[in-house]
Amino acid sequence: MTSCVLVTGANRGIGLRLAGQYAADGWRVHACCRDPGNRADLRQAVAGHDAVVHALDVGDRRSIDALKAELGDEPIDVLINNAGVGGGDRQTFGDIDYEAWEETIRINTFGPYRVSEALADNVAGSEKRTIANISSRMGSIAECDEGGESIYRSSKTALNMVSLDLAYDLKARGVTVLALHPGWVRTDMGGAEAPITPEDAAAALRRTIAAATFADSGSFLDYDGTRLPW
Amino acid sequence: MPTALVTGANRGIGLEFVRQYTAEGWTVHAGVRDPDAGSALDGLDLKGGSVHRLDVENRDHIAALAGRLDSRPIDLLINNAGMWLGDDERYGRFSDEQWMQEFRVHVFATMAICEALVDNVAASQRKLIVNISSAFGSLGLDRGIGDYPYDTSKAALNMITKGLAHDLGERGITVICFSPGHVATDMSGPAAPLSPEQSISGMRRVIGRLDGRQSGTFIHYNGEPVPW
Repeated sequence: MTSCVLVTGANRGIGLRLAGQYAADGWRVHACCRDPGNRADLRQAVAGHDAVVHALDVGDRRSIDALKAELGDEPIDVLINNAGVGGGDRQTFGDIDYEAWEETIRINTFGPYRVSEALADNVAGSEKRTIANISSRMGSIAECDEGGESIYRSSKTALNMVSLDLAYDLKARGVTVLALHPGWVRTDMGGAEAPITPEDAAAALRRTIAAATFADSGSFLDYDGTRLPW
Repeated sequence: MPTALVTGANRGIGLEFVRQYTAEGWTVHAGVRDPDAGSALDGLDLKGGSVHRLDVENRDHIAALAGRLDSRPIDLLINNAGMWLGDDERYGRFSDEQWMQEFRVHVFATMAICEALVDNVAASQRKLIVNISSAFGSLGLDRGIGDYPYDTSKAALNMITKGLAHDLGERGITVICFSPGHVATDMSGPAAPLSPEQSISGMRRVIGRLDGRQSGTFIHYNGEPVPW
């Protein structure tokens, strides 16, 4: 039976490559992004494959409800909460942008929770029953050895907690929930000097997601599958 | 004697901090949402400190507090004001607005108060900032069920504590976060096993021995380390 994946933030960067690679691999793909109208890259990446492009703003619950209505009861084997923002330029002590902080928490932390909550039945009704939240090592408190970037860091720490709490609460339904670090990737967010291409990051994440088992639920994994400290 | 500032000081853990530090002779400034409402604070001698109107979500209150304190040194800043939604914390039960309010109270307010009062702390002898977190904010402890707004905002508070420790270290400021234990307060209910007296005496012992090497750590009220 064909497997099905849903990817948020699929219009660029890692999300775009995840959608393209799963589609090329024969998966059915639901590719979600805020403004699907003029996403030529995404349409090209999934062209000729079993793929549907959806409008989704993960910070807007009505948008999430609309996605759920479009999907109905269709089983989603792998839900990848990838959409995220960087938190902006003012994240340093003494010059914190609190509005940007709220917006970042809404997208990076609330978004993955709300999408998971809305699609929990679709995931629980599938074969693979996996939710993968794209987090970041920047959210590891143990590894934090410098100040700054408080907005982004705290949003990803909180996302890790969402993953852990979802792992507890969806355990009885057999759902595996993972927090994943994608590596430092050459994207709009990661910057031009990042060492990993989005293609390689997506390929590694797909391998790690495929290799993860129910026993890994609630863990924080590097893109190569190594466990990361909280 | 040293000076402390405690937020959320009208009851529970905050009130007990005020009681114990004033009993020791410290000057204590007590931040409360509504100073006119009346509380056990009213009977306490703050040894030259004051009760301040401080809804920690209100940036004007924070600015006014900083203005009133002016350049007075604060040896110990205790970011204690907190909230919990009870059963509404559970999967599927809470609104985004409830969730964001916990981030405002636990995370954004802590940062904003530190930004506003950093010079007062840096000008003091002891230079301590203590954030009251929770074992619920520990990713490393198995809690078995999600209290989402509380767990996530306390985990985020722990992250900013680590960042603050780095950012303020060069000014000689030590920043830690505490798990106060399961204390019998209005918030957690009377059945909790630990009295405020026990929890706060324990935290005061830890605070009394703090030095820069512990900055950026997560400590249980009894002095044991808590996993992130």
